[in-house]
Amino acid sequence: MTGRSWLRGLRARLLVAFVLVTVLGAGAAAWSSAGSASRALVATTEQRITETAADRVGAVAPELVYPPDQGALDRLRAAVGGNTLVTYRGMRSAGGSRTGLVTGSLRSAVRDRNRPVTQRITAHGRPWLLVGMPVMITAPDGERTPSGIEVYSVRDLSGVERRIDGLAGSAVATAALALPPAVLLALLAARSVLRPVRELRDTARRLAAGDLDARSPAPGADELGELTATVNEMAESVQSSMDAMRRMQADARRFAADVSHELRTPLSTLTAVMEVLATAADRMEPDDRESAQMAITETRRLVTLVEDLMEVSRFDAGTARLRAEEVDAAGAVRDCLRARGWLDRVELEAPEGAVLRLDRRRLDVMVANLVGNALRHGEPPVRVRVLASRRQVRIEVADSGPGLPGDVLPHVFDRFYKADAARTRTPGSGLGLAIALENARLHGGDLTADTAEGGGARFVLRLPRDLEDL
Amino acid sequence: MTGAVKRIWPVLAVVVLAGCGIQPSAVTGAGEAPTGVAAGPTLYFVGPDGGLRPDQRRTGGLGTVPEAMSLLLTGPGEASGLRTEIAPVSMTRVGVAYGRGVIRLHVPLTADDVTALGTDQLVCTALGVHVQSGGSQSTKVQVRFTQPAPDSDRRRSCPLME
Repeated sequence: MTGRSWLRGLRARLLVAFVLVTVLGAGAAAWSSAGSASRALVATTEQRITETAADRVGAVAPELVYPPDQGALDRLRAAVGGNTLVTYRGMRSAGGSRTGLVTGSLRSAVRDRNRPVTQRITAHGRPWLLVGMPVMITAPDGERTPSGIEVYSVRDLSGVERRIDGLAGSAVATAALALPPAVLLALLAARSVLRPVRELRDTARRLAAGDLDARSPAPGADELGELTATVNEMAESVQSSMDAMRRMQADARRFAADVSHELRTPLSTLTAVMEVLATAADRMEPDDRESAQMAITETRRLVTLVEDLMEVSRFDAGTARLRAEEVDAAGAVRDCLRARGWLDRVELEAPEGAVLRLDRRRLDVMVANLVGNALRHGEPPVRVRVLASRRQVRIEVADSGPGLPGDVLPHVFDRFYKADAARTRTPGSGLGLAIALENARLHGGDLTADTAEGGGARFVLRLPRDLEDL
Repeated sequence: MTGAVKRIWPVLAVVVLAGCGIQPSAVTGAGEAPTGVAAGPTLYFVGPDGGLRPDQRRTGGLGTVPEAMSLLLTGPGEASGLRTEIAPVSMTRVGVAYGRGVIRLHVPLTADDVTALGTDQLVCTALGVHVQSGGSQSTKVQVRFTQPAPDSDRRRSCPLME
């Protein structure tokens, strides 16, 4: 199985869907909780830093000289801690190497809003928190005015970022933990779906192979159960119609067999009468003699037809038996042609030595049918060739007529098939080729029709040489 | 993989990357600004009309409540035109204790040494420094004298700041 076709399987698709849904769901849940936790962490950290700085400024402010001198600014800066900048009009006191990170927008926000402001920035590949606040003067009645002293502090947020990364990592781990149960569930679900499907497939295969008794156990009341029940119903109805058809076919065959059998007794009487009539025909008037001749000919045709019908009935009923013996095919074909007086009308090419086991009577019937057919419907010369190979013997009968049209070819072995609808009255029974084909099959061989190179019709009879004793 | 799956991965990647680390932000306001700087404390004396008068001293810094109380007990000085209704004492140290929403002043005086206006001087001066250093305006003041007095537990507020 290639990777792509495996992916198209129901099991793989269920697996992928389950895993995707689980990982997406677990990942989204874990990620959203990690996200809100990290946002809360950042917010509390910012608030803590700002409040601490404001508390330190507020604690030291009442002790400061106002208006402040450089010493007062230095003292305030020292109270707040490292990376701090304190300004008052033109004066400034800076400590730490990162005070240059303070942005202009933060300074203007401190002046505009008169309250502490914060801003997160990324510099030197690390996150920083900028805190800026004005120091206010409060009048005894509570009114506040800016003192002009501004405090800016820069704080490293790398520690917070590491903790956030830890949260994200645990979110990924949580999502990954959900994977194995998802795979297990998907496999279980796939198995419960696939087992009935597989049983159904096996049943369908057995039905297709001709085992009409095949049924699947209905696995429950779900859609697969309905499908199984429907398939079972279908098999049931196919089986019953097949039975009915077989019964009707058997009835029809038995009827044909019965009819031909019933016709035999009156026909034999009729044949005896015709013999008498034939001997008397010479003494008749010419008109009467013609009528008598016609009656004799038609009676003979009727006898042939009934015999052929009975032969076909035996094939249909499966009661035809092969009486196999060692036969030289060339000799048998020559005997057949000689017996019917066709040797001078047929070009025979039959080397001696094509010996095989076959039923001599049935070979005679086949050759007579094929050659008679060629003489009646084709043009002379009619050629018969016997070819022997190690495995089989081929007997070809070809004429030089117009050949078989394409629309006739598939039907030449059908019973009572007439190639030319206008030519209804022919001496044959209409069963000759059908009987020849049945005989060939009875020998384990085959009979085919095609068009020869010269354009005439050609029938090829193949008989195997390794025929077992039957 | 199917097309739907192919479309999911970029979305997932964007979501994952967006949640990562600390993102830069705009300037945001946070909390209350610190306060407490002043040129000096404000003391309360009695003016010529018999009402309380604020008197801002230029000491160079706001200082603490006890420092302001010591200045108050020391008196207004001759040139100011103000007077005090607190009896002069040799010892100007005032003990200050902070409770929940209340400031307790332990003054080196008896209840007889101050008038009602004198008590207001004490309360207003203490509250003024407290508010200027960032304290709440709703804070009350208790004045404890050296000898127990009937209304020394009263929680007082300054009449000028109400």
